Amino acid sequence: MGLPAVIFYFIFCYIPMYGVLMAFTHYYPKRGILGSLTTSFVGFNNFKTIFNDPYFWQVLGNTVFIGLGKIIISFVASLLIALLLNEIRMRVFKKSVQIIVTFPHFLSWVVVAGFVNLFFVTDGAINSIVVFFGGQPIDFLRNGPFFITLLFGSDIWKEAGWGSIIYLATMAGISPELYEAADIDGATRLQKIWHITLPAIKPTAILLLILSVGGILSAGFDQIFNLYNPLVYSVSDILDTYIYRSQFNDNVNAGITTAIGLFKSVVSFILVLTVDRIAKLSGERGII
Amino acid sequence: MKRSRFELPYLPLRPSRKSANHRFGRLDIVLFIVLLIYGILIIFPFYNAFLISISPEHVYNETPLLLWPKELTFASYSSVFANKNLWSGFRITMILLTVGTIYQMFFTIITGYALSRSKWFGKNFLMNMILVTMFFGGGLIPYYYLITNLNLHDKIWVMIIPGAIDTFNMLLMRNYFQSLPKELEESARIDGANDIQIFVKVYLPLALPMIATVGLFFAVGNWNSWYNAMLFVKTPSLWPLQFVLRNLIITGASNIEGTITSPDTYSQGLVMASIFFTIVPMMCFYPFLQRFFVKGIVVGAIKG
Repeated sequence: MGLPAVIFYFIFCYIPMYGVLMAFTHYYPKRGILGSLTTSFVGFNNFKTIFNDPYFWQVLGNTVFIGLGKIIISFVASLLIALLLNEIRMRVFKKSVQIIVTFPHFLSWVVVAGFVNLFFVTDGAINSIVVFFGGQPIDFLRNGPFFITLLFGSDIWKEAGWGSIIYLATMAGISPELYEAADIDGATRLQKIWHITLPAIKPTAILLLILSVGGILSAGFDQIFNLYNPLVYSVSDILDTYIYRSQFNDNVNAGITTAIGLFKSVVSFILVLTVDRIAKLSGERGII
Repeated sequence: MKRSRFELPYLPLRPSRKSANHRFGRLDIVLFIVLLIYGILIIFPFYNAFLISISPEHVYNETPLLLWPKELTFASYSSVFANKNLWSGFRITMILLTVGTIYQMFFTIITGYALSRSKWFGKNFLMNMILVTMFFGGGLIPYYYLITNLNLHDKIWVMIIPGAIDTFNMLLMRNYFQSLPKELEESARIDGANDIQIFVKVYLPLALPMIATVGLFFAVGNWNSWYNAMLFVKTPSLWPLQFVLRNLIITGASNIEGTITSPDTYSQGLVMASIFFTIVPMMCFYPFLQRFFVKGIVVGAIKG
């Protein structure tokens, strides 16, 4: 019964891995990978081209900023929401809030982008508030800093509630005796959170952080692709959107776009290994 | 038997402690208010979007931040329900949802089962090869040319076939099968059952809770799928609902061929009505299914 898996992973995961050889060629689709390797092998020239392109470094900078920013912000937001939900004592209210705040996770970014557009266009709801208080309408979607803020904000709106679930479940697993003992010692609620709850979820948090580090360079194609426009490319173009547009809109050779993709995969992989090693050295359970 | 590296300890979903000896203090009120505001921030976009979908254009232009309905019109909805593109998208999405989900579950479940069995040649090797794919891949472009070479362009299958196994869901299944007692297999074997019978009659029924969870994850994924359509499908009649919706939003609903416009319709109203067309099924089912999703993420505890 393992056979379908062998076939599936071979075709859809390992053939594309073999396909990264395209990165070392000037790729001609008609010649295929082997044909391109033998007739138009270029060695590391594609990588030289990429690394000499200032726009690539700008895109890489955007990617790291957005990717890292999202990890930190969503980590803090999820943890905070989990703590709030864990401390609240009204069962029905807690359950309802949980259902509501986890729901946006199951919407596609197409829908969420529709909402973001609705609220933040120049004549939209948010600007009607701005105007009401005597301000000038702001073009949130075409203004770099506002757009980046929107990326982070809409990411929190969509994912933080869902992200809190795993922390909440870990908190539910903490032995009540610990809290009772703390009560006897006269600990306040904040002290209990600091000395019992947070240490108890540390292993889970570290595990999730290690896993998310591999996604730094992904930074959220679906979200950005559905929201961005040429006016904010300079701050919001990430590796994945750059690869996509270069390949399908700008007719850049597939050798180059594959090379960017390979760069992304290799760096992500190294990041995961490094963070895992650091976690293990500091005495935590790693993943590899 | 080594436990999977991807397994977290069992995390029971129960209230963490009883609050009998606590009074309802100031902190509780603060918590209540903060969570209430957070909940409202999540709900409000849906509420406002819904009001816009049932409001005429002049109301929207005067007060984009609608707090209550001022004037009702169903022009947007009648246009949306008469829109052939959306219904065609709905049909394709239903195909993805049924055929795709069954197909994905079949492959994901049998792979999870195979990898949960104790001994067979090459199992650990295969497991490691699969785990590698979670952290390293060829990237978009080689994948694109692979699909080209497989001649899957512009076919509905391109939105189904490559999704056969989702590694995360497969590991969920595997861990669940692994948690079931081994003795069941032994006793079934003594009764003369073969491998297939042991799988279908003994383990599959026991794994139903996790199968439901995995099935729901796949179903949501299929319902929301648009990326493969954008990359590979050029024929509009094969576009799934989300991709049709995406084009409505990006191009502006009124400018797209197939949108029925009348003097009472306007782009933003049409877009919001279309969005509700695609999310109402989810909104109806989600409150009842939420616990399955939560269980999946809690048991699996990976993928954040």
